Amino acid sequence: MAVKKLSKDKVADALKELSKFRLIAPAKSDEVVVFSEITDPEEVCLDYGNSTVPPKKVVFPQTETLFRFVVGNPELEEKNVEEEGTTVIFGLRPCDARAMAIVDKLFSWDYEDPYYLKRRQLTTVVGMACVEPPSMNCFCTSVGGSPFGKEGLDLLLTDMGDYFAVQALTEKGEKLQETLSSHLEEAPADDEKKVEEMEAASKGKIKRSIDTQGIPEKLPGLWDNELWKKVSASCLGCGICTFLCPTCHCFDIQDEVESGEGRRARMWDSCMFSEYTVHASGHNPRPTRRERTRNRISHKYSYYPKRFEVIACVGCGRCINLCPVNIDILDILSQVVDA
Amino acid sequence: MVNQDKLREIAKEVISREDVRQLIGYRPGTYGFRARPAFVTSPEETDELIFTPACVNNLATYITLEERLPVPRGQEPDTRKVAVMVKGCDSRALVQQMEEKAYERDHIVVLGIPCTGVVDMDKVEARFPNVLEKGEISLEGDKFLLTVDGKKEEVPKEELLADKCKRCRYPTPLVFDQLLDEEVARFADDDYSDVTELEKRSTEEKWAYWEKKFSRCIRCYSCRNVCPMCYCEDCVLDRLQPQWMRRSVDVSENTAFHIARAYHLAGRCIQCGECQRVCPVEIPLMELNRKFYKDVEELYDYEPGTKVEAEPLLATFKVDDREDFIL
Repeated sequence: MAVKKLSKDKVADALKELSKFRLIAPAKSDEVVVFSEITDPEEVCLDYGNSTVPPKKVVFPQTETLFRFVVGNPELEEKNVEEEGTTVIFGLRPCDARAMAIVDKLFSWDYEDPYYLKRRQLTTVVGMACVEPPSMNCFCTSVGGSPFGKEGLDLLLTDMGDYFAVQALTEKGEKLQETLSSHLEEAPADDEKKVEEMEAASKGKIKRSIDTQGIPEKLPGLWDNELWKKVSASCLGCGICTFLCPTCHCFDIQDEVESGEGRRARMWDSCMFSEYTVHASGHNPRPTRRERTRNRISHKYSYYPKRFEVIACVGCGRCINLCPVNIDILDILSQVVDA
Repeated sequence: MVNQDKLREIAKEVISREDVRQLIGYRPGTYGFRARPAFVTSPEETDELIFTPACVNNLATYITLEERLPVPRGQEPDTRKVAVMVKGCDSRALVQQMEEKAYERDHIVVLGIPCTGVVDMDKVEARFPNVLEKGEISLEGDKFLLTVDGKKEEVPKEELLADKCKRCRYPTPLVFDQLLDEEVARFADDDYSDVTELEKRSTEEKWAYWEKKFSRCIRCYSCRNVCPMCYCEDCVLDRLQPQWMRRSVDVSENTAFHIARAYHLAGRCIQCGECQRVCPVEIPLMELNRKFYKDVEELYDYEPGTKVEAEPLLATFKVDDREDFIL
């Protein structure tokens, strides 16, 4: 399908059209940009860098009920993801969409996760190209991404000034473009070429980089290297780097029971938390932040590529921007290279 | 401002001492204006140490955050001291920790930094966005001087100063073995105007205000982990059996978490502001802590973290203690 044009004065109407689905888009909560369920198109904030919390939470909620139960009753009330209905994530960044494509591999691997996969199936992902890199710590181009990347996206919007170029990338995207057809116009013929030029310009503005060649193979040999102690010395052991990571996908499953009724829920977990790998015996194979930091880096840059042939990091820069003590994944990786 | 050569010279002397195993200070960050904690174990490593207005972290946290693995059979535990650099506000965390008997005074060597104020890094990065090249920040009189991509820029102090510094009562450390510079006289005071403003709101307004903030919380626990007063070895939040606080994230659990944390800090928070600084979703946690701080000062004339020999507020009882606020 050809590139279409969505005039900026028609964005509100288009969003209104999309709000017949479950519409998720960036919106401001005070000054923080959060992907939220939209009821009023006025709330949508498309003039933003990137959200603090990645939109992974839409398909992989931080807390989700798997089923409800009454103690002593074998009948379970199972969660029906279908009820959430068709969902549109609008205006997310290409790195975050690519992260979903990367995480898909895990959730459809040896066990097909029904909750995640159903939700993915119900979701159409509308990305917004990064005409300017949203953060000085962006490094998507080092890990196989692009500010105009298409992986994981169904539709790509590019800000052309007074309109968005709208490019359908999948069947789902074409369907959504069809839904929006009354708000779309023909795009100028040279738009595709323009978009290519803009992509090259944006890539050129990405200042941070790392040569990942050889890192996945090298990491296992650095198991006992001194560098882990050094890079983790200042780590506070909080969950910022993992919870804000669009590819981190660890979860815990817990039962919550009150007055004889309860639910089994799964919730994000973080390998940086002290109780993450505590055994029932009390033994912890990752007793300090040194082992936990090593795990975080190794999982992304060694275990995941070994299993799925892709680095589980999309270079969004969130962990660098928001680490309270300036632990910088590119700094760690360059020490890995030098080790 | 502290002379960097003098700072390194003193640090070198301290880490060369036989009874000191580690020195915690600051070094330049990995990009832009950032500085980060430095963990020095040898005299050579002191060359990278700095102190500038970018040194925002409260290093007192690391005294109690250090993980101690069981000592293998036949080996003796390393009982040498830890040296730590602290600003005025940070020193109060040490005082409060010692007041609570977290460790003995001779466990640490305190290098006090009389502080004229640190920056709010968010304000710096908003003012000079996308500066990746390492730049220095210094304070000269009432202006911050910044090197931005090789060029010198001047910004009036109040525009980049961290809010906590604007009401700092203790710029010179209250506990130290050695001061790295001349004492700094109090240059600000706290009139609690922000807290008074919040107190005026109705219960409904307050609830709506906090509900919005707490609904954003992702429970990363960075506020707890960065807090120098959150040093319980076994935090109630990490208990799984029984689970006192659910891991599930919703506005109800989040609210319970933040209220519980604020209560645990009543009479203990020393106002370093680290919790609010690190919160990725910008929850103004200091507004809660400062309300308690104000109440404690007004009701009991007590300021946490000001005297090592004082009794912790909640560990004392006087027959004439105020109680007219108890329902």
